[in-house]
Parts: sequence; structure tokens; C-alpha cells
Amino acid sequence: MKCYVCAQEGRSSDAVAVCIVCGMGLCREHAMREELEMWEGGYPFPAKKVKAKIPRILCPECYHALKGK
Amino acid sequence: MGDLGKRCIAELAGTALLVYFGAGAAAITLMIARGTDTGTPFNIGIGALGGLGDWFAIGMAFAIVIAAVIYSMGRVSGAHINPAVTIALWATKRFPAGEAGAYIVAQLIGAALGSLLFAASAGMDAVTIGGLGATAPFPGIGYGQAILAEAIGTFVLMVVIMGIAVDKRAPPGFAGLVIGLTVGGVITTIGNITGSSLNTARTFGPYLIDSLMGGPDLWVYLPIYIIGPIAGAVIAAFFYDFITGESSAAA
Repeated sequence: MKCYVCAQEGRSSDAVAVCIVCGMGLCREHAMREELEMWEGGYPFPAKKVKAKIPRILCPECYHALKGK
Repeated sequence: MGDLGKRCIAELAGTALLVYFGAGAAAITLMIARGTDTGTPFNIGIGALGGLGDWFAIGMAFAIVIAAVIYSMGRVSGAHINPAVTIALWATKRFPAGEAGAYIVAQLIGAALGSLLFAASAGMDAVTIGGLGATAPFPGIGYGQAILAEAIGTFVLMVVIMGIAVDKRAPPGFAGLVIGLTVGGVITTIGNITGSSLNTARTFGPYLIDSLMGGPDLWVYLPIYIIGPIAGAVIAAFFYDFITGESSAAA
């Protein structure tokens, strides 16, 4: 799979990741990694943040759409 | 401030809201019914206006504020807002002893603060006529009967908490609504037996502020609201573990 963003720019580079939202192939330069916090517990116990985070790979378009930028 | 300190503040605030709006609704009902001919000595004023509907309205005030506190503070402290719930979770090894003690102190202080704020909001009639919504056995109800009624009511509350919140198989998101409505339903039935406290803190707060501000002296009844709710909640927690076949350590 090739990077979709690079292809749009007239370049060709191998994809190393896939956007979890739109499925776009992404090279290392265009893959945007977002760390999601994980919580466990909750009523009737206090919720606690788990040290481990869930990584999420997004393309630039989806990342900016989700962030509202 | 440490994590436990913040959680205790959440318990304090949650219990204060419970007493302000829940017990406050009982006090307001008595204030509205002042001077009404109740017709029977079993009716002290709550029920004079709308029969069992008076208790249903008080129950709904409790239901709504309990749901609000659980949804807003449940993730912070667990929103026990009830020493009986905290003790039952501790007794089944789900909650550490040191934190349980801190939670109970916070709940008792919060309940007193809720009563004080209600008296400040509603005036001295809330103390002298409404008794700040303090609970006591109704005419003709004996000490043992009152303990039994409080234990049964709290048993229902704790079984529901176990089933809808503690049990990991429970559907998420319903705890606040279901637990609030459960308390509202229990109050509708046993409100006119014991006041349906189900919660030592909810009774302690109005008792303390009534004593300080010249309201009714009801301390002789406090053991009812210690023994009944705690016994009912602890039995319910072990009962739930037994019928679901879970060991307490596995939860």
C-alpha cells in the first residue's frame, strides 16, 4: 500500500500505517499518532486512569477534523 | 491535595446535596401541611395534602438528586453518599478500611452541612416545623419494627447497587437512574413507617443541626438508623455474592 497523501502530492512512498477513521494508507511522515487515555472503575468505585494508553493512528485530515482545527 | 482528600470532598458535597434536596423535601412538605387536619395520628403532616403522593414526591426528590450525584460524582469518589453502602463494600473486601473511615466522616460532615444550608435557605420554620426532614419512627411503630423496616429498605437499595453497578455484567449507564428510582420507591412505601432514611448520614445531619438550632431532639432514635441500614446493606452485599456465585475477592 502507498501513502495517499504523498500520492496526492505526486510522490510515491510506502504506507506504514492506516488511518483508523477513513482507512487511508499513510507513510511515516503523514501518520499522526494520538494517545487515548484509558480509565477503569467508576460508580460505585473511583475511576482510575490506567498507565497504558491506546495508540490511534490518524491521517492529517481526520486528525484536524477530530481536533476541530 | 491528595487523591483521597478530593474524593472525600466529593462524598461530602454529594451527601450535602442529598440531605439538602431529599430531607429538605420532607421538611417543606411538613411546612406546607402545617395546620392541616391530618385525620389520623399515623399522619404527622406528610400525606395530609396528597396521601401517598406526598411520599412519592419526597421519594422523587431523593431519586433525582441521587441520580444527579451518581452521574456527576460517581467517577470521582464512587458517590456512596451513604455509610451503609461504604461499609457493605468494605465488608465484602471491595473497599479499603482506611478509605472507608475517611468516606464515612466526610459523609457525616456533608449531611450536617446540607441540613445547615437548608435551614439557612428555608428559615427557622424548616427547623421547628419541618425538623429539617429528620427521620423518626411514626406513631405506633416500635423500635424493633423500625430497625426491620430500615434494614429491608436498605437491603433493596444495596442489592440494586450490587446488580446494576458492582457486577461487571451489568449494562453500563443505568446505575444512577435505577438506584435513584429504587430509593424513591422504597421511600414511598416505608416513608410513613420510619421516614425511610436507609442512610445513617442522612439521619445524622438533620439530628445534629436540629439540636444546634432548637429543633426536635430525636437522638434516642439514632441507633435505628445505624443498625438498620448497615445490617441491611451488609446482608445484601453478601446475599448478592452468594446468589451470583461470586466470591468477594473475585470482584
